[in-house]
Amino acid sequence: MSNPATEAALNRSGLTISRRDDVAMTHVALRRGRRADLDARVSATLGLTLPDTSRTVEAAGQMAAWAGPEQWLVIGPQEAGTDPSAALAKALNGVASVVDVSDSRVIFRVRGASAADVLSLSMGIDLHDKAFKPGDVAITHASHLGVMVWRHADGQGYDFACARTYAVDFGHWLEDACSKRGVFA
Amino acid sequence: MRISCPHCGERALDEFSYLGDASVTRPDPAAADAADAFYTYAYERRNIAGPTQELWYHQAGCHAWLVVTRDTRTHEISDVKAAQDVALERVNSTTGAA
Ligand SMILES: [Zn+2]
Repeated sequence: MSNPATEAALNRSGLTISRRDDVAMTHVALRRGRRADLDARVSATLGLTLPDTSRTVEAAGQMAAWAGPEQWLVIGPQEAGTDPSAALAKALNGVASVVDVSDSRVIFRVRGASAADVLSLSMGIDLHDKAFKPGDVAITHASHLGVMVWRHADGQGYDFACARTYAVDFGHWLEDACSKRGVFA
Repeated sequence: MRISCPHCGERALDEFSYLGDASVTRPDPAAADAADAFYTYAYERRNIAGPTQELWYHQAGCHAWLVVTRDTRTHEISDVKAAQDVALERVNSTTGAA
């Protein structure tokens, strides 16, 4: 936390910000013409059905988020001594290009009923309940930085994946925006 | 100006970057008239007052190339398609005729 005043303002805002540093992130891109094979192997390995629209799906602690046409980001727990990306690369060998992106991105989590009002200050997409529903994902800008954002299933928060290079900057923006809850939004 | 990406929905202009004319097709470099054809392809452009087809890239979004039909007089966008689909249509219409 940057300073006591920001911390106090954050406490008043009813919003919480955290970093998810315990996750493995894997980018999966379909090889041309192998969709049926990919679906079968993902179903067998992760118990998930990959979405074709900008949605997230979850099963048994694993999440797959749509990451553009025929691409997905798979997110799951990173446990000591395991290599989830390598395991997925092995399982999907030949039907998808699989890249470990755990070190290239950071996930921030914002929770709280008023999160959308605050995030709207520096985001171009429509975060209204009817426009960005629980389970929806978007690749867009937040505070001029490229992010992937998805809304939690209970509708009470958002996860942001941003490039690790910009994580400090993005974290500051989140803190600053959320601590001004009640001032601007 | 806002562009409705077929994958992401409607987004602001700052998420996209512009390439240029989407109506031209890259000539065959092995053809006898390749030098002239490439000159026309690279440099000769009509300055259209009306609907044009343009290539835009959804850089801050899904990273897809799009073919946007935009009226240069009003900036009204009447159609947006994935460039991949447009290219496949062109290939299919060529091979379909053969
Ligand atoms: Zn898009």
